[in-house]
Amino acid sequence: MRSKRQILFRAGALLIVLLIAAVMFIIGRGHTVYFDNKTAEYNGQEYEAFHKVVVTVDGEQVSKLGKRDRGMADTMGQNFVMTLEITDEKGAQPHSHKVSMSLPYSMDGIIINIPELMAGLPADAYLSEFVVAPVEETESETAEGEDELGDEFGIGGDV
Amino acid sequence: MKAGSNKYTTSEKKPTAFGTILRQASVPLMFIIICAFCIPIAGLSPSYLANEIVTRMGRNSFLILSLLIPIMAGMGLNFGMTLGAMAGEIGLILVSDWQIVGIPGMVLAAIISVPISILLGIFCGKILNKAKGREMITSYIMSFFINGIYQLVVLYLMGSVIPIKHSSIKLPRGYGIRNTVSLLNMRQKLDNLIAINVSGIKIPVMTFIVIGILCLFIIWFRKTKLGQDMRAVGQDMEVARDAGIDVERTRIISIVMSTVLAGIGMIIYLQNMGNIATYSSHSQIGMFCIAALLVGGASVDRASIGNVFLGVILFHTMFIVAPRAGAYITGDSMIGEYFRVFVSYAVITLALVMYETNKRRAKSESSRELRAQQDADEANAAGKENV
Repeated sequence: MRSKRQILFRAGALLIVLLIAAVMFIIGRGHTVYFDNKTAEYNGQEYEAFHKVVVTVDGEQVSKLGKRDRGMADTMGQNFVMTLEITDEKGAQPHSHKVSMSLPYSMDGIIINIPELMAGLPADAYLSEFVVAPVEETESETAEGEDELGDEFGIGGDV
Repeated sequence: MKAGSNKYTTSEKKPTAFGTILRQASVPLMFIIICAFCIPIAGLSPSYLANEIVTRMGRNSFLILSLLIPIMAGMGLNFGMTLGAMAGEIGLILVSDWQIVGIPGMVLAAIISVPISILLGIFCGKILNKAKGREMITSYIMSFFINGIYQLVVLYLMGSVIPIKHSSIKLPRGYGIRNTVSLLNMRQKLDNLIAINVSGIKIPVMTFIVIGILCLFIIWFRKTKLGQDMRAVGQDMEVARDAGIDVERTRIISIVMSTVLAGIGMIIYLQNMGNIATYSSHSQIGMFCIAALLVGGASVDRASIGNVFLGVILFHTMFIVAPRAGAYITGDSMIGEYFRVFVSYAVITLALVMYETNKRRAKSESSRELRAQQDADEANAAGKENV
């Protein structure tokens, strides 16, 4: 009887741990969001880049974009909220917009085209995946090689 | 007066209480003197020094606290904590590849490391049960053995058998992990979760809360049935066995607990550093944690939470000031580097020698007492016969 209860408690504890792990998977997923202020074309229509866009995430200004500029911000979780302060043309009064969106879990790097986003186009128009260009690498890096960063113990170090 | 009533004969000096305290505190005293000598020479500002010490306290204390439980169970200094450190690193590598960042990344890495630590701890505990009395050297050598397996997993299986997606983690050849894995997305997230600044000194409150919780757990654990069993096993295995304690199981549990805590401690350590040196992070961690604990006045068979904090402060103060002091005295900062590494190993050697000397002294004292008792008994018997 006691062992049955013990098994039940252990299974319960395991389940809770797995649940916590699942929650961590969802809330801890990191993304790098790139903001493009570039003129884009969708279904034959052109969406002009703004004169200036100031992007604020979590109360912190992360990018100040001119035409054809790209900015970026690291974010955690699937919900992304940013404030865009847009100046349409030189000398014009800036207008502010709070934008919230759901980020796709599978993408590490996400490009958001601001002119298309502000035009109210669907997600597949303004959102695309950032793919790192493959770089030719030499196989000089060995397992226990030189140039290891670390503290005085050789345990870690600042990058 | 009976011959055996006096513990010490006239030819032997009875150590005074002051002498005993002095002997026990000789290592911390030595380090206090070294630090007192080196700090003014190094010329570091008090706020810089305090900042560094506080940072290192947050970084190292959890790892060093993981050593207390095996000492309580009489298994000495657990050089096998390296096994837990490896488990923590595996957790962090996987979490980095899955792009789980910040505190959730740390929690997930800890969840991944715990089962690996438990398995390694059970394995280590079982081996140590077969090497009773030689736990320290056995666990030390075992850490090399498991390091080989770790390298096999990280260098060959990760990327080929265990899926690793990101090229920033994987070696260019397509499998194996790079020398350095960046933890920038996790860097000091725990430290900065609640951090206060007191006259230029950053205090990582959340990290200290986590360390405080572990301290409270250890204090509570000592009072539990299992904690009492561990203390009984640590004092005398045979007596504990006669009292109905499952000695082998208790010893295994102590090593498992230490390994699990070391894994979590390593995650806390590396989040502070901001990167993992994949193939070397864990290799020295046991040595330096043990050295810090011994500098705090602990011994192979006796350690407390106070020893942990005193050890971190003294050992790391020495580590911070030694290169600058060495550079000032000799004109070569490498002398200071050598000095602090030399001191780390020397303090471990000194502690082991002192432990062995004390053990032999206690053994010879007890045999002397036994002999005196036998003499007294014989004299009594002879007296009765004469009557």
